[in-house]
Amino acid sequence: MNNLSVKHLIGIKDLTKEDIELIFQTADSFKQVINRPIKKVPSLRDITIANLFFENSTRTRLSFELAEKRLSADVVNFSAASSSVKKGETLIDTVNNILAMKVDLVVMRHPNPGAAKFLSERIDATVVNAGDGTHEHPTQALLDAYSIREQLGTDFKGKKVVIVGDIKHSRVALSNIFCLQKLGAEVMVCGPTTLIPKHIHELGVKVEHNLKKALEWCDVANMLRIQLERQDIQFFPSLREYSMQFGLTKELLDSLGKEIIVMHPGPINRGVEISSDVADSKQSIILQQVENGVAVRMAVIYLLAAQINR
Amino acid sequence: MKIVLKSCTIVSSKNTYKDKQDVLINNGVIEKIAPEINEPVDQIIEKNDLHISSGWFDAKVNFCDPGNEIKEDLLSGLNAALAGGMTAVGISPNTSPAISNKSQIEYLKMKGLGNNVSVYPFATLTENMEGKNLSEMYDLKNAGAIGFTDVSSPLHGGILYRALLYAKNFNGKIISFPYDSSIFGEGYIHEGITSVSTGLKAIPSIAESMTIERDLNLVRYTNGELHFTGISTKEGVELIRKAKSEGLQITADVYIHNLIYTEEEMFAFDSMYKVLPPLRSASDRDALIEGLKDGTIDFVCSDHTPEDIENKEVEFDQAAFGIIGVQTLFAQLNKLESLTLSERIDLISSKPRRVFGLSDNSIQVGKVANLTLFNPSIKKELKSEDIISKSKNTPLVGEELTGEVYGIFNEGKLSIIE
Repeated sequence: MNNLSVKHLIGIKDLTKEDIELIFQTADSFKQVINRPIKKVPSLRDITIANLFFENSTRTRLSFELAEKRLSADVVNFSAASSSVKKGETLIDTVNNILAMKVDLVVMRHPNPGAAKFLSERIDATVVNAGDGTHEHPTQALLDAYSIREQLGTDFKGKKVVIVGDIKHSRVALSNIFCLQKLGAEVMVCGPTTLIPKHIHELGVKVEHNLKKALEWCDVANMLRIQLERQDIQFFPSLREYSMQFGLTKELLDSLGKEIIVMHPGPINRGVEISSDVADSKQSIILQQVENGVAVRMAVIYLLAAQINR
Repeated sequence: MKIVLKSCTIVSSKNTYKDKQDVLINNGVIEKIAPEINEPVDQIIEKNDLHISSGWFDAKVNFCDPGNEIKEDLLSGLNAALAGGMTAVGISPNTSPAISNKSQIEYLKMKGLGNNVSVYPFATLTENMEGKNLSEMYDLKNAGAIGFTDVSSPLHGGILYRALLYAKNFNGKIISFPYDSSIFGEGYIHEGITSVSTGLKAIPSIAESMTIERDLNLVRYTNGELHFTGISTKEGVELIRKAKSEGLQITADVYIHNLIYTEEEMFAFDSMYKVLPPLRSASDRDALIEGLKDGTIDFVCSDHTPEDIENKEVEFDQAAFGIIGVQTLFAQLNKLESLTLSERIDLISSKPRRVFGLSDNSIQVGKVANLTLFNPSIKKELKSEDIISKSKNTPLVGEELTGEVYGIFNEGKLSIIE
């Protein structure tokens, strides 16, 4: 099979296990490409891509832009404050204006859940979701799983991954849950009780509120960034108190009696989710994640672009 | 003026007419009901499988007039109601400005004159719906307000307490929409597997049931009378069932879409289904239907809420709440196959009329005709151009609906839908 089962990448929920494996295999060859002296392939010379970011982002946007340029696509960037709708122009109008300039593929980040799906149903171009509110962030989940695969091998069966932090407001958590489960891994979520959705267990994940117990259980710990900007009410008293309960320190890591893999989607709040010595330790694969992000995004865009008539 | 309705099936829970009857209406009054009426008349109405029942009443519609006439105005709303077979509608006061004084009630009544659908306005419970001072309920009631509601704005306990007490003097009907947004923040959809897997903000069932419990305590304490509108949870149904058996003077209604759809619709992020209270789980929906059967919930209304495309065809978070429904209320109700036809009709005629103290409009010789003429089994696809409302926000376009309205008699006057 050399084609994805979907036309757009809206969420991991829509992908099959075969889709995910195809993306990984494709990413393997692109990872070789970006480690060569000439880091570029000419595959998408005739494709124009617009990166539309309705929410602040530095690294995701940079990662997408690099992936697109290394595939030789033409790239335009559009950033707007999340209040663009309040200014009067609707999302559809904004996007149609950009599409009128003949764009083939749109990478969009947006503060509202479902925005990417909404867009994909109403425009002609291919849509890649770069994060829609608290819904999904599929390329992040793909690069996380790809990074785990590099460390632990291609068979995810029986592998245990804990996601720690603000699960309630996290699109990364949701996409990771869907992705890891499709690949056969077991998933646990861990965080303050106020930040774990009441019905999360219905997705088939374990729930734990004690970080040490969670770490003893797992092979991989994915420490999420605390995103104060996505909380409209206070869910815990202070960052200090959060890190006392859910911060990963060297001492805690060493007390486990086994080596686990530590991940973080970035940007890190050093000393909050993760202490500096853990972030910089050899158990941490945070920078590999960033490198893999480019390869995985190249794979996603390459595979979706293959379905565009040209 | 003599009109005869030929060969009617008379639908009524206390129906004594088993076979098809001819009904003679003379100058607006039902003069004779008999198997065969052959005397000379001015007009004969014969329709395919004609059914008649006492006239229908949609007790909660939003007609956006004054303020948002671009979405709906009183006349377009009344025309939609006529197409839906209504002889009366209860109009929500959440207009702009809100219906909060006598002259605004009179505006609606006067503007509705000449239309064959009766206008029954509700007034705000607090002045201008600000939640602070009680509105002039006594004066408003005398002007024609049939109840007092701040619609979907939450009521503070203190305000509701005083309203329940104050309205006892003159039998004012106080209405509560049970929804507490202070604990969980603003949400849009039912809390459960769908909210978890879509990331959409949720309104847990407890936001409703906590408010119902508080309100019931106030009813108990004041010995007052309260109507709950828009029940959506199984917990809510159970609380009301218990309170009724305890003898509290409460009534309740449910919006039609909460009886038909469930949270499943949210997986597609389709803002057409964004409503308040939200579509809940299948077990909630089943409990609501059970509540209708045993009388826990008194009646069904459409909560007709027109919205223009600019407010619906946007990202889910930004979309407005609401579905239009006054025209399709009967067709939607027909989907509830576990109820008999006459039970369904009671839920949109005699039952809501009783709750709000409207006159008895049962079919009897000697009474002024207040009837809906319809066929309960014709199937027809709803096309966008068939929608009479100015707004088209309904998921029903393109769907084959069961049931067609032929016309109404209201205050003895006939309107036939062409």
